[in-house]
Amino acid sequence: MGSDRDEKKLLKYIYLLCIVCFLNLTLIKMPIDAGAMVMALVTCVMIGVSYFVIRRYFPEGDKHIFIFASVLSVIGIVMIYRLDTASSVKQLIWFAISVTGFILTVVILPDLKRFCNLRYLFLAGTLIFMSMAIFIGTEINGSKNWVVVAGFSFQPSEFGKLFFVAYLASALKEYQNSFKELIQPAIVVMACLGFMVLQKDLGSALIFFGISITMLYIATSKTKYVLACIGLFAAGATISYQLFDHVRLRVMIWKNPWPYANNQSYQVVQSMFSIASGGFTGTGLGLGHPEYVPINTSDFIFAAICEELGILTGFALIIIYFLLFYRCMRAAINAGDNFSRLLAVGFSSMIASQVIVIVGGVINMIPLTGITMPLVSYGGTSMLITFLALGVIQKISEEGR
Amino acid sequence: MIDITKNIKTVLIIFLVLFIGLISYVTYFEMVVGPQIVNNVSNKRLWVQRNEVLRGTIYDRDMTALTKSKRIDQDTQTREYTNGPLFAHAIGYVDVKYGITGLERKYDSELIYSSIKDNIMNFIKYKGKLPQKVGNSIQTTLDYNIQKKAYDLLGSNKGSVVVLNPKTGEILAMVSKPSFDPNSLDENWKDINSNAAMPLINRATAGLYPPGSTFKVVTAASALENISGIMDRTFEDKGKIVFNDNESLSNYNGEVLGTLNFKGAFVHSSNVFFGTLGMELGNSKLKKTAEAFNFNADTPADGVTIENSQFPSYNIFEKGNIAQSAIGQSSVLATPMEMALVASTIANDGVMMKPYIVGKVLSSSGEALKTIEPVKIRQVTSSDTAATIKDFMRAVVTDGTGTNAAIPGIEVCGKTGTADNQEGSEPHSWFIGFAPYDDPQVVVAVIVENGGQGGGIAAKIAAQVMKTALSK
Repeated sequence: MGSDRDEKKLLKYIYLLCIVCFLNLTLIKMPIDAGAMVMALVTCVMIGVSYFVIRRYFPEGDKHIFIFASVLSVIGIVMIYRLDTASSVKQLIWFAISVTGFILTVVILPDLKRFCNLRYLFLAGTLIFMSMAIFIGTEINGSKNWVVVAGFSFQPSEFGKLFFVAYLASALKEYQNSFKELIQPAIVVMACLGFMVLQKDLGSALIFFGISITMLYIATSKTKYVLACIGLFAAGATISYQLFDHVRLRVMIWKNPWPYANNQSYQVVQSMFSIASGGFTGTGLGLGHPEYVPINTSDFIFAAICEELGILTGFALIIIYFLLFYRCMRAAINAGDNFSRLLAVGFSSMIASQVIVIVGGVINMIPLTGITMPLVSYGGTSMLITFLALGVIQKISEEGR
Repeated sequence: MIDITKNIKTVLIIFLVLFIGLISYVTYFEMVVGPQIVNNVSNKRLWVQRNEVLRGTIYDRDMTALTKSKRIDQDTQTREYTNGPLFAHAIGYVDVKYGITGLERKYDSELIYSSIKDNIMNFIKYKGKLPQKVGNSIQTTLDYNIQKKAYDLLGSNKGSVVVLNPKTGEILAMVSKPSFDPNSLDENWKDINSNAAMPLINRATAGLYPPGSTFKVVTAASALENISGIMDRTFEDKGKIVFNDNESLSNYNGEVLGTLNFKGAFVHSSNVFFGTLGMELGNSKLKKTAEAFNFNADTPADGVTIENSQFPSYNIFEKGNIAQSAIGQSSVLATPMEMALVASTIANDGVMMKPYIVGKVLSSSGEALKTIEPVKIRQVTSSDTAATIKDFMRAVVTDGTGTNAAIPGIEVCGKTGTADNQEGSEPHSWFIGFAPYDDPQVVVAVIVENGGQGGGIAAKIAAQVMKTALSK
């Protein structure tokens, strides 16, 4: 099989990337940091084994999804190692857990069609997770979207995303040209956006909006609905702007961050310096100063990557995200039923809009909203959720063949 | 079941466009926005770079050290300005908290340049321990003695003194008062930043003042080049020109100077004569000459930034303003540096030289890496015109308003100015001049804010400064 050989070639390049990067990190320290090589080996073994399992037991599925996800994770682990070694070890553990979750999703989940009528279960899950942080949330980095349970903190809205997409997929799968069918999903979407604004999590709000209009358009084929939604969103945004200080602040910073460079807009200004200092080829891994960028392992990891590895690596990341998105959408096209298709489209657009929102934010193209860069940023919940979503898509890709 | 695969393809394309948009913006950011922001003072990376190398020393022209940098530990170094406030404006300061100004800023890249690079060759050569990296040094054109004299003579007055070499454009001294101590910025920042006297402003290059009668040098040059037979003309100065019911122009203290020729009018600084001359020339001709002297334009300079001096445009019926502009009032504004350049042009046969403050860039071991050569800006007036005005300026000091600038044994040339500024406050005292007459070696421009008549304090300071400069 020709594609089999190509995949192996890609896999070898991932090993090479991983080893070269960690070798660099090993040598740059005085004395030599052998721990980095251990990280490299563990990462490579983990990717190799997972790939083997997927290929061995599920030869029908699209293995590119896993390969692209691995490249992104490797870049993330390398960068986090350079910024904060302890976090990187945790991230590697989370990578292992997530890949396991990915494989289990593919193994355990029965035929997805069986889930298509669990609409109200999904609805309940969506509403519980989306609203959870409002009641028992803790504020971290200016957003009240974290929940701490037994010393373990997570963002419930990340889990909410999975239910949200599943709910929309089951609600929209049998759309038959009647407006009535759209009323309930519309209310749910608006409620979720409202919850996000109240939690000061504008990034997630933006992503839910992106997912919703994508799925709406795919289910209904009606451009006018999309335009109407954009209109409503604009109105909602204007109202939130008038109502909430934190929304106004974000917009003010976006318009001109310079007067507040040392206080309100410190984060984005530092991020812009970081990216600008790197240039096209970067300062070299370990030679820049991404330590001046706040939250550099998570929200601003793209800035750190651009500074040390260059904008060209930044472009490569964006392109790999698009390839991943493309493979996921391809799975959707090949799927056998509309529920699976909508599910695949929902999860793919979730990942794609997250990339657009955070990359656009760190270079101040759009107002900055704190969200993670899928698979690259440090963060267990985010990585697990993304891999679970990819697992579902992987499953769909197998059913489709 | 509706077939939705077509919609999926549409969405794929929309996202493709969005991703391309994202990449395009990142490219735009890198090429256009990036270069503008990397040098922003809030970017701590520059300070890390600066700290890697022990900052080079700034010397005066005789290699007297004006700064001293000392390494404290790996992350800190201190910079001492050995003469405190004396060179504060000429050199500027470098401070992590308050940024970087003046010459420190202009020559930052030289001062932090070290020939020792962090490469493998050096790593092996020095067996893993790189020696202390020291930045290049700068030998300025400044002369400690002249600077000190000018600084002391200004005393507690507000104002500025600029001293140039007319033949080369070297800046020999540049004083702005009040000054501040760059060694104790942190203690005094609040005061020097909010003080109404604005000590942080370098008045020599950024202070815009009405030049008053010193501007008559420009008007005279314009008349010599535009009005034939001007030298043979005589004129009756009745002490006042009346434009209309509420506008008129009179001589200083309402003096009536009587019958004058061109030279006499210049020597005794007749406002009436020059105001009339301004109206005869018209705004466009006078403006053209002023612009040849670099009014309304960026002045090329090395190591300093010079604010643009201004000469206004007037309509033909604005007679009062046109006449006022010919005597350096109305909305004519000039920096002390600009007026020094005007005098320097006359001293240098009509050629204006580009002012510069750095003579040589030296390596940390003292070898010259770069020598800055004098550069001609342009021939502003013909050498005949310059020679005529030079004679006039000589007569100002021998028989006219500038007798206070005379130095025994040296033929000093000059022009006084008494510039009205705000209603009710004392006029600014100006003097521009050069010496010696035969072979000018030094040019000076002095302004004392609210110092009264130009022939008074400004002329006296100028004489002392020129004497010091020529005593070497």
